[in-house]
Amino acid sequence: MLDYVLSALGHLIEPLNILLMLGGLTGGILLGALPGLTATMGVALMVPVTFAMDPISGLVMLGAIYAGAIYGGSNAACLIRTPGTPSSVATTFDGFPMCQAGKADEALYTALLASAFGGVVGTIFLLFMSAPLATFALKFGGPEIFWLCIFGLSTIAVMSRDNMLKGLLSGAFGLLVSTIGIDPNSGVPRFTCGFYPLAQGVEIIPAMIGLFSFSQVLVLLGSDRQFIAEYSPSKGAFGRVARKLLADCKVNLLRSSVLGTLIGMLPGAGGEIASIIAYNETKRWDDNPARFGTGVVEGVAASESANNGVIGGSLIPMLTLGIPGSAVAAVILGALLAHGIQPGFKIFTETGELAYTFILSQMVVNILMIPVGYLLAKVMAKILNIRLTLVAVAIVTLSVIGSYAIRNSMLDVWVVIVFGLIAFFGGLVGLDTGAMALGIILGPMVEENLGKCVHLAKAEGSLWNVFFTSPISLLLILFTLLSIATPFLLELRGKKKARRTAACMESRS
Amino acid sequence: MRTRFGLMLAAALAACTLLAAAAADAASYPDKPVNMIIAFTAGGSSDVQARIMQKYWNKNEPQPWVFIYKTGAGGAIGFSETAHAKPDGYSIGGVNVPHIVLQPLAQHAPYSIDDFAYICQVVNDPQVVAVRNDSEFKSVSDVFAYAKANPDKLTIGLVGPMSGHHLMYLDVKAKTGLQASEVMYKGAADQNAALLGGEVAVIFGNVNDVMRSREMIRVLGVASEKRCDFLPDVPTLREQGYDIVSDIRRGFVAPKGIDADELAFLREAFRKIAQDPGYQAEMRKAGQPAEYQPGEQFEAYVRKQYEIDRALLVQFGLLKK
Repeated sequence: MLDYVLSALGHLIEPLNILLMLGGLTGGILLGALPGLTATMGVALMVPVTFAMDPISGLVMLGAIYAGAIYGGSNAACLIRTPGTPSSVATTFDGFPMCQAGKADEALYTALLASAFGGVVGTIFLLFMSAPLATFALKFGGPEIFWLCIFGLSTIAVMSRDNMLKGLLSGAFGLLVSTIGIDPNSGVPRFTCGFYPLAQGVEIIPAMIGLFSFSQVLVLLGSDRQFIAEYSPSKGAFGRVARKLLADCKVNLLRSSVLGTLIGMLPGAGGEIASIIAYNETKRWDDNPARFGTGVVEGVAASESANNGVIGGSLIPMLTLGIPGSAVAAVILGALLAHGIQPGFKIFTETGELAYTFILSQMVVNILMIPVGYLLAKVMAKILNIRLTLVAVAIVTLSVIGSYAIRNSMLDVWVVIVFGLIAFFGGLVGLDTGAMALGIILGPMVEENLGKCVHLAKAEGSLWNVFFTSPISLLLILFTLLSIATPFLLELRGKKKARRTAACMESRS
Repeated sequence: MRTRFGLMLAAALAACTLLAAAAADAASYPDKPVNMIIAFTAGGSSDVQARIMQKYWNKNEPQPWVFIYKTGAGGAIGFSETAHAKPDGYSIGGVNVPHIVLQPLAQHAPYSIDDFAYICQVVNDPQVVAVRNDSEFKSVSDVFAYAKANPDKLTIGLVGPMSGHHLMYLDVKAKTGLQASEVMYKGAADQNAALLGGEVAVIFGNVNDVMRSREMIRVLGVASEKRCDFLPDVPTLREQGYDIVSDIRRGFVAPKGIDADELAFLREAFRKIAQDPGYQAEMRKAGQPAEYQPGEQFEAYVRKQYEIDRALLVQFGLLKK
C-alpha cells in the first residue's frame, strides 16, 4: 500500500492534475450552485472528455467535480433557499434563515468548512476501511432500506413539532405524488391520466425547485422588500465560524460525517437522505432543539458535512464491489469501465496506483475546496446586493432552464410551476414544504423496498420474519420509535424546565 | 429495331441520370450534424457504447453527432422521441430489445416497433444465471431442480418488471415448470448488491453487469446460442439441456419514413464502424459484448421477439387477450 501511496502522491503534485482538481472544483461548485444542474449531470457531461485523457487524470477531475457540486448546492440553499442539488434540502432549513438575518457570509463559510470536513472523513473511511464497510453495506437489503426510509419519514414528526398534523398531511401528500408513474412492482403506469410522459414520474429535482425556489420567489415578490436579505460582509466572519465549529460542533460534525459516509455506502440511499437524517439527529441531541430552523450554525454544519461524507461512502462499494452507492458514483463507475478498469477488491492491488491516487485526490480536493470555495462564496454572496426584482427573474430563468436540462423534458418545467404554486398557496394554509419534499424523495424507495419485502416473504413464508428479524431492522425500528417519541419527550422536558424555573422563581421570591 | 435500340438507350441514359442524381443526393447527406437520441443517462452503458461508435463515425464523416438524452420510464421516453422525430435523416436513436417490444405491449408506451426504420444491431448482451461464489449451486440444473423440489423457496433477483430478465424468468417457468419467488430490483447495481448480500440466492443478469462484480459472482450458465467471449468457460443453457436463449440487444434506428437512400447510407456507415478492428477492441475493453447484425436482420429479430414475448405474457396472464 505504501508504494502506491507514494506514487499516488507523485501523481497528485503533477501540475496537470492540480489544475484539473482546481478546475473540477470550480466548475463543480458553480454547477452545484445553479438550481437544476446537479452533480450527476456535471460528472456525466465530463465523462466523454475523460476518454481522451489518462485514466488517472480523468478520475481525479470527475472526483473534484463531484465534491465541488455537492458543496456548491449549499450556496443556493443558503442564499436563495433553493437546494442546488437534492442533497442540500436540509441546508435550506437553517442556511436561509441565517442569510435573512444578515449572516449570509457565516452561513456560506459554515457550509464550506463542514463540507470539507465531511469530505475528509468520508475519504478516511474510504482509504482505511473499504473492505469491511463494503461487506457491511451488503447487509442492507429490502427490509433494512425500507426501515431506513421509514426512519427518514419519522423526522417529519420532529421537523414540524408545532403542528404535527399539518406536517404529517404534507408528508402524506408528498408520498402520494411519488406514486405517479410506472409501478415499480407490476410495471404498469399509474395516475398518468392518459398523458404518457407522466409515466416517468415526478422528477425529484424539478419538484424541489418548485417547492423551495419558485415558491420562494413568489413570496419575495409578494413582500415589499428591495433585496433578498440585508447583507454587509463582516470582517473576520470566516475565522469566527471556524472557531465556532471547532468549539461547539465537534461532535455534531463527526456524527453527521459518519452518518453521511454510512448512508452513502448503501445503493439507492444518497445525500438527500443522509443530510436530512443528520440534521434531524443533530436537532434531537441538542440542548435546545427549538432553535433549529431559525438560522443556527449547527443545522447547516450537520446537513453539509453529511452530504459530503456521502461521497467517500458512495465510492466504497463502487470501487470494491462494482456497486455504486449513488447516482454520481454510478456515472464514475461507467467511466472506470470505459477505461477498461475492473472494480473489485483487487482494484487496490492490480490497479493500486490508480485507486490510491483517486482516493488521495479526494483528500486534496476537500482541502483545496476551502480556498476555492471561499473565493467563490464571496462572489456569490454579491447576489444579495442585487435588486430583488432582478434576482427573481434570474432565479426563475435558471430554474426553468435547469429543470428542462435534467432530461430535456417540458414536463419538468411544468412540474416546477405547478409545485411552486402548490407550495405558495399551500404555505398560506400551513403546508409544510420540507415534509412534502421528504415524502416525494422517500416515497419511491419505500414502495420499491416494500415490494421486495412482500416478494421475499413468499420464500420466507412469513412477512413478519422478513420485517422484524434482522438486527439492523430492529435497530432502525427502535430509532424510528425514538424519533416519533422525541416531540413528546421534548414537550415533557420543556414543561419540567418551566416548572423548575417557576419553582426557582417562587423560592427566590 | 432501330427505335427499340433508341428506346433502350434512352432508358439506360435516364436510369444513369437518376442514379447519378441519387448518388449526388446521398453524397451530400449528411450535410449538417445528426441528432443521436439516447434513452438512458449520460455515462450509462448505452451512452458509452454510442460514444465509442461516434469516435469511428468521426473518422469517416465530417458531420458530428449531437447527443440528446431523453431519459425516463426505462427508456420509453427516449424511444418514443426517436419514433416520432422528423424522418429527415437528421434524427436517429439508440434502442434496446426487448424494451421496445415490451413497453408498447405491456406499458402503453406511445410508439410501436413499426415506427422505426432499423439501421443495425451493435450489441448482444446475453442474460446469465449467476450465484454467489460460495453458493451450493454448481450448475443451472442444480438451481432449477431445487426450485422445482421446493416451491417458492428459491429467491431469484430480477431487474424489472416487464424487462428482459422478467421475460427470461417467464420463459424458464414455462419450459421447466419451476416455482420460485421473484424479487424485482430497480437496476443492476441493486440486484448485484442483493446477490452479494445474500438477499437473493440467484440472479438473472446481463454479462455486462455481472462482470463488474466478477470476483464474487459465479456464473452458472449463459442464455446465448454460443458461449460468450467474456466467459469462455461458462457453458450455455442449451449445453446444459435447457432451450433458453435470452438477451438484451442494442441497436440504432431512424424514424420510419426516412428516405431509402439515407437509410442505406446509414446502414453502410454503421456496418463500416462495427467491422473496424479498433472499434471492436474498444468495445471489448469497455465490457460491451459487440455483435453486429444488419438492419433487415435486426428488424426480423425484433418482430420475432414481439411474437414470442407476447405469447409469454398472455400465457402468464400479464397481458389481456
